Amino acid sequence: MACLFAACTATDAGAQRGVDPDEFVRLEPVLQAALQQAAPFVVTVETFGGTRRVLGNDEDIDGSPPPRRPLPDLKPKPRPDEDEEDKKKKLPLVAPGFQQSQGRTTGVVLTADGWVLVSRFALNFDPTTILITVPGRGTFHALRAGEDTSRGIALVKIEAADLPVPQFVPPDEARVGQWAFVLGRTFAADEPTVHIGIVSARRRQFGRALQIDAYTSPANYGGPVVDVRGRVLGIAVPLSPSGRNAGVEWYDSGIGFATTIADIGALLDRMKEGQVLQRGWLGVQLAQSHLGPGAKIVSTPKDGAAAKAGLRKGDVILAVDGVEVMNGPHFQMLVSSRLGGDVVTLVVKKDEAAAPEQVGPIALLDAPWSEQKQAKDAEQPASFSLPEKPEGR
Amino acid sequence: MHALSCLLVLGVGVGLAAQSQDFGRAYSFAERQPASAVEKVIDRVLPSIVKVHGASGLATINSYATGILVTEEGHILTLDQVLLQPDRTRVVLYDGSVHQAKLLPSDDKLGVRLLKIDPAGVNCELRPLWPGEDASFRTGQFVVSLGNCFRLAEFSEKVSATFGVVVGRANTALRYRMADSKYDGDIILTDACNNPGHYGGGLFTLDGRWIGLNLRLLDSKETNTMLSAAVPVRDLLPYLDEQIHGKVREAPVAPHAPAWLGAVLFDQAGRRSPPAYVERVVKDSPAAKLGLRPDDLIVRIDDWSVRSCKECGEVLTKYAPGQTAKLTWKRGSTILTADVTFAEEPK
Repeated sequence: MACLFAACTATDAGAQRGVDPDEFVRLEPVLQAALQQAAPFVVTVETFGGTRRVLGNDEDIDGSPPPRRPLPDLKPKPRPDEDEEDKKKKLPLVAPGFQQSQGRTTGVVLTADGWVLVSRFALNFDPTTILITVPGRGTFHALRAGEDTSRGIALVKIEAADLPVPQFVPPDEARVGQWAFVLGRTFAADEPTVHIGIVSARRRQFGRALQIDAYTSPANYGGPVVDVRGRVLGIAVPLSPSGRNAGVEWYDSGIGFATTIADIGALLDRMKEGQVLQRGWLGVQLAQSHLGPGAKIVSTPKDGAAAKAGLRKGDVILAVDGVEVMNGPHFQMLVSSRLGGDVVTLVVKKDEAAAPEQVGPIALLDAPWSEQKQAKDAEQPASFSLPEKPEGR
Repeated sequence: MHALSCLLVLGVGVGLAAQSQDFGRAYSFAERQPASAVEKVIDRVLPSIVKVHGASGLATINSYATGILVTEEGHILTLDQVLLQPDRTRVVLYDGSVHQAKLLPSDDKLGVRLLKIDPAGVNCELRPLWPGEDASFRTGQFVVSLGNCFRLAEFSEKVSATFGVVVGRANTALRYRMADSKYDGDIILTDACNNPGHYGGGLFTLDGRWIGLNLRLLDSKETNTMLSAAVPVRDLLPYLDEQIHGKVREAPVAPHAPAWLGAVLFDQAGRRSPPAYVERVVKDSPAAKLGLRPDDLIVRIDDWSVRSCKECGEVLTKYAPGQTAKLTWKRGSTILTADVTFAEEPK
């Protein structure tokens, strides 16, 4: 019996021998080299002022703990008089439970002539002043340009020339399992911080981002996620399927997102012109019980693009821009990657007997995220669940 | 197939039997051959890591922590915490033996304290660690962190080893629970998580050098996120030398009047302090000599970020009259920087 036990341990040791004992000793210089390669284009972002109530309360911007306050009224009274504009102002930009501090964040140089990518998260306060510090080059006053709220990124412009520019890796060249290092320049000006991990998944957030398992948090939002050669795979930002700035609640959890840049050149040009890009909204609710083919509509909110294009309850969408729709989740994948203003052409079957007809082109609207929806999404990421029993097929 | 499952069951049975014989007895890694750089570090430093047990009472205060043996005379370095009370502090060495510990004076600023056990009562070999000549660290270095997180190790059990990377060096405003931290030196950030009980443990590089003493889980005021961090041991040497070798330290800076810049800020004394815009400049003050003007926005003093009027005042308390700092301010869209020598506020 003792002999058998000894045999077991010998096998364990054998398995260990298959591993490079100095794996991490060898990785260290690789990491250091990537860090050195990337450090010059990682910049510090500081913001000042701003009146937007990010926190839904008047907590102090320097991160001091808020005063004790009474528990919220659990039954909010309806406020029918409120118009759209008021509602927009009250949108909580970060997830409940996290208090944003107006501290330094990180950015990445996009072009040598002074365009800088920052995290949308850094501008949540609608600051009156934005300063960018480029290592070795000094501090610059930055002007805010456009942004893409669906990707969590924004562009600012500084008056500088010959800035060090990174190489951006096309998202399809990233490999699940490859090393991913996240750099930040939030705590110390002279050297960036680094978190290490791997690429967990590609084309997340409807094709907008890579998922990584390195820790991301306000300490490195806006910073680059680089490969072993210091090339940029993406920009670390808080994202969640609801499409706004939620996702902060996942900080340091190993679920992180990096918005890919190499494939959105045209969008960056629009952002340079100051455009604010948002997730597109068609305005259809789908029957979860309809398993396909096609996606069946259960309702169309009256101010949505779909309602205006004449789509109604009971219609079945068979194709989007020539792509046959397999089922509801497929339809969501096809449409959720679009932005407000994008145009889609649908093929719709109005009722059982009718022949499919073409509807559109329909221009998508900007997603009207409501407080209620955002709060709901924070608890439950958008997903489809299979119904308990199929209905009316 | 049947024979194989039989063998497996037998194997498990034997494994359990062997464990129950071993359980509760002091054990060591002396027999094993470390198979990797990480294992080598762990095996080498584990005998120097001790469990610290102290006073408890409140549910929010843990009665356990970790310490590091630094001399053969029984000096143990740990984080100064409420649990360390005279007569209530005990240390468990790697052989499982429990020793009463005396408290030596703490260092208030660094937040560390030395304990002392009587080496005469120790029956195992004491294997101290001392911060080496080269206790430097680099961002992107891999580290092993050792400590008794969540009091998972009892008696002679080894404390927990966790693996991570040096995330960076930071000198940033910190908060512990609701109170601001007094510590204003450099800290080592790491992603090897600090959990309760890990506090006072050590951070080691893969070549076995001791670089940090694990801090409590702190909040950064910059980001409002929790940080796993350690105090660089090179910064602890003067305290260790003073307490153990009787070397006299440089006297701490005597209390002084706050530094005065002479720029009156546009502060409305609301709860939310506005950015540090200059409202007016006092005649012949350092600000006037610098050429500061109304509507200039002060953004930085040396490397300290100034995000609000309140923060400007807080940063100035770090300086004494006569000291010089690099002031950065914004005028229109131009960023200006100059050295300023602070004065004392005229009565």
